[in-house]
Amino acid sequence: MRQATGALPRALALALIALAALLLPSRAGAEEPVRLWHAYRGVELEVLEALAGEFAAEEGVVVDTLAVPYDAFAAKLSSAIPLGQGPDLFIDAHERLGDYRERGLVAPVGDAIEDPYAFTENARAAVRLVDADDGEALWAVPIAQKSLALYYNTDLVQGPPETLEAIADVAANLPQGTYALAYEARSAYGHAPLLTGFGGFLLADDGSFGFHGAPAVRSLELARWLASTGLVPEDADGALVTSLFSAGRAAYAISGPWLAADLEGDAGPRVPYAVAPLPKLAATGAPMRPLLTVEAVMLSPRGAARPIVRALARRLASAAAAERRQTIAHSLSARRDVPAPRGDAVLAAFAAQAELAIPMPTDPAMRATWEPAHRAIRKVLRGDATPTEATEAARRQFDDVRRPPPPATSPTPALLTLGVMLLAGALLLLRRARDPAARAALRRSLPAYAYVIHAVIAVGVLVIAPLLVGAATSLFAGRPDSGAYVGLGNFVEILSARGGPLLSSGSFYVVTLVTVLWTAVNVLLHLAIGISVGLLLARPATRLRGLYRVILILPWAVPSYVTALAWRGMFHRQFGAVTGLIEACNELLGTSIEPIAWFARFSTAFTANVATNVWLGFPFMMVVTMGALTSIPRDVLEAAEVDGAGRFARLRHVTLPMIRPSLVPAITLGAIWTFNMFNVVFLVSGGEPDGSTDILVSEAYRWAFTRGSQYGYAAAYAVLIFLLLSGVTRLTGFGRGEGGR
Amino acid sequence: MVAVEIRGLEKRFGETLVLRGVDLEIPDGAFAVLVGPSGCGKSTLLRLIAGLEEATAGSIRFGGREVTTLAPRERDIAMVFQSYALYPHLSVRDNLAFGLKMRGEAKATIARRVDEVAKMLGLGELLDRKPAALSGGQRQRVAMGRAIARRPALFLFDEPLSNLDAALRAQVRVDIRRQHDRLHATSVYVTHDQVEAMTLADVMFVLNRGRVEQRGTPAEVYRRPATQFVAGFLGSPAMNFLEGVLEPGDEGLVARAVTGDDGGSLQVPLPAEGLDAPLAAGGRVTIGVRPHDVRPAAQGEAPHLTCAASLVELLGPELQIHARVGEAPITLCTPADRAIARGERLRLCVDRVHLFDPSSGVSLW
Repeated sequence: MRQATGALPRALALALIALAALLLPSRAGAEEPVRLWHAYRGVELEVLEALAGEFAAEEGVVVDTLAVPYDAFAAKLSSAIPLGQGPDLFIDAHERLGDYRERGLVAPVGDAIEDPYAFTENARAAVRLVDADDGEALWAVPIAQKSLALYYNTDLVQGPPETLEAIADVAANLPQGTYALAYEARSAYGHAPLLTGFGGFLLADDGSFGFHGAPAVRSLELARWLASTGLVPEDADGALVTSLFSAGRAAYAISGPWLAADLEGDAGPRVPYAVAPLPKLAATGAPMRPLLTVEAVMLSPRGAARPIVRALARRLASAAAAERRQTIAHSLSARRDVPAPRGDAVLAAFAAQAELAIPMPTDPAMRATWEPAHRAIRKVLRGDATPTEATEAARRQFDDVRRPPPPATSPTPALLTLGVMLLAGALLLLRRARDPAARAALRRSLPAYAYVIHAVIAVGVLVIAPLLVGAATSLFAGRPDSGAYVGLGNFVEILSARGGPLLSSGSFYVVTLVTVLWTAVNVLLHLAIGISVGLLLARPATRLRGLYRVILILPWAVPSYVTALAWRGMFHRQFGAVTGLIEACNELLGTSIEPIAWFARFSTAFTANVATNVWLGFPFMMVVTMGALTSIPRDVLEAAEVDGAGRFARLRHVTLPMIRPSLVPAITLGAIWTFNMFNVVFLVSGGEPDGSTDILVSEAYRWAFTRGSQYGYAAAYAVLIFLLLSGVTRLTGFGRGEGGR
Repeated sequence: MVAVEIRGLEKRFGETLVLRGVDLEIPDGAFAVLVGPSGCGKSTLLRLIAGLEEATAGSIRFGGREVTTLAPRERDIAMVFQSYALYPHLSVRDNLAFGLKMRGEAKATIARRVDEVAKMLGLGELLDRKPAALSGGQRQRVAMGRAIARRPALFLFDEPLSNLDAALRAQVRVDIRRQHDRLHATSVYVTHDQVEAMTLADVMFVLNRGRVEQRGTPAEVYRRPATQFVAGFLGSPAMNFLEGVLEPGDEGLVARAVTGDDGGSLQVPLPAEGLDAPLAAGGRVTIGVRPHDVRPAAQGEAPHLTCAASLVELLGPELQIHARVGEAPITLCTPADRAIARGERLRLCVDRVHLFDPSSGVSLW
């Protein structure tokens, strides 16, 4: 054993030398490579690679481009850049600038922009940030811009309508089943043009909530009118807009450049269409103005200090580059000196629209406007609340999310306690170490430690360390604007429902109740269905049971988010499979069942979630049951048969009690999985209506990722979930060895 | 208590005919033993009687009641399984009570019967234990108790002793017989162990290849085996078989083993009467000699069997001698009071020989 313990440091040293040998030559290069991150794919990626390649060849520098998924961009940047590992420059949407600046991920671009007036006014405004002492600077180099515009099907209509309300005139002449207009009614982004048409905005300049008051109310009334008159489809999201318009089932559509890409078939567009700027509102006479997103090159603080990086940013935003992007990738230039190519009417329309668009605010508070605005819009469209009620509730929710973090407290008491505990632990260890018997025992078990050390390290790094870091995070405000230590402040806020009524919607207690109900209902159904099917499939008399087994295990094999998305589609009020079934039933049987708006009420939304999760979860219980059944000796069942037990009595008195020991751990696992089943809740109901079907994990997710990155608060939720689960499993006895015989 | 009557019972598993027309009748209150080698169909026959398998053809009647197609619980039977098949999740008490509960007996009746049975079988101490906490013998008793508590019309035993060690087996065997003598319930007991069969049975059925080869009391079957198979199956050590011919002797026929020159001979005079079939000189027969049916020839007496002992084993009260007559190995048993050395030339008289038809195996005498 002495040899083995000696071998470990030697191996470590060798590994270090090998690592150094690998790393050293790359350090020896003349100019450090320029690292560029982006989220491009397809043609846009080709153009970028070509531009970067040319630049690299001319300047004699290595340019490393790395595609990072758009959703992961912010998280990767904020973990890499502070460690000096991230990109020198990256391409992202301008609305994240405020957040990035708050976290110190970007720096002003300096001479990367030589002439600000080469860019359109909107693009310039988008990347201009005001700092604390009212100074202004440009924080990114605009390269492209995107906004919504009006598509119209030239087979169905002549041209754009005079006003939005005028589409009602068109509707009468449209074929059955065709909508006058498809727009993303359920999202605040899709609703924004209506709001701006009434002179409203989502976020005020001072960072307060803008989606309330007369413009918001009037815009919601208009949206409700559009939906209730059947001019627009209900509950439309981006995918539905695309599918309706590309199937020729919508005369007009409000969508972005991505719809043009989707309409492109192998031989020309799938429907004949044209694009125009959004129309005016008849009510105000003002144009509808969509939100503008400017794609821009941003420089990390380290990158901004390097002339070569700034030169690359200049090159990427140059007129020549913009022209190539426009002609090859059809992405709209952000420069005044690069007009839309002659003959590209679509791009010209988007350019005209971009002039009229409103750049998305860069204030980090903007991210906190979406969720309250979404909820308000959906409530009004469902008819659950008047526009005034809904927007006022949205404002309260926004203010709740943007409330100041708990007061910073001194970490001294906590550190003191930790110190005392560590000291006590150390003393205890010291006493153990002095005890000769303990030392002898330790020496004897040294070889055993050598065998488990890798597992201990793995578990420590992969399980225990993240757990401790997560728990520690919950003691900090953990917001982009404040990382102060707040002690148990987050917990106090959660447990006191942030000062509101304890049983108000979205409070910890209500969400916990929903979570418990969710878990109980799911596990019961998993058990009932899983055991029944398992029993049926275990019967030797069942024909083709191998086939059934495979088919029934399939739900389990499909990734749960795929299932969740499929079920979400099936529950769509107008276009879902469930509604299709109801309609078929009405047609065949002459019944008159109304299609159900599944996500309009808690009961139906909850049912939809449960149905999805039951479909996902019962195969696990089924497999456990089938496994457990094989362990029941045949003659015990025969003994029961001879003893006079019928089929049901055998099941109740022999089979079920005998598979119980195998089912107990499965039930515990199933309960924990269900308790934390984020995918289904987030993707099927998405918390609708009004966040009432959210469970603890999806609520925690929202605090971390959709409500202004309140990581500390979300971590406190996670700690509470952990405590709840470990407490309950302890109480029910699993883990104390009672799960077995 | 019922009598059991089975007619023309057949059972087929796929292509395999496991029972090929079994007829048997068990008198009311008798202890019947079905015995035979593995694969003879005895367990299948028992499971058919229990109703755990469906008959392909034939009929089963309990005391005149046709039960062939009835479910087990409609037959009023109790069964003791080879593995005991106790309910592992139930205490001994609940195991004993299970059958009564399933039949909807009153709680007081159940408690009384369980106590009775527990006392009868000495299970009192164990009533609250789970089967996992019992020894093999205790489990066996619980399985018995579970059957007895039910007071069925018919007891079925499927090799109930085969999981016990030898000492316990002998003891439990006696217990089972005692219980039967006390309860007088008709019992059907399946075993491949001839000692159990011989000691327990009132009436014994020897099964071979899906047929009843012979029935009768153990003594009858042992003394007058109907076929060479039965003769070879019962008795320990097994009966010796030698190829032989019938020759005319001084006072009638003589059966003589066909041997080479290399030592050992068998020559037994046959009585003139009592033969199963008319025998004629010159006929070929299989001669059967039970190891215990020999004794040393007295002075001046002509020996029937001569051979050289190739191996002698002392089994306490007797010697077991291995020898050859011609090519055929034989085993013989003699009282241990006279020592026999290895290689010693033996001169023995045979008190009883059995003769079988060499082709059909049917007993000739």
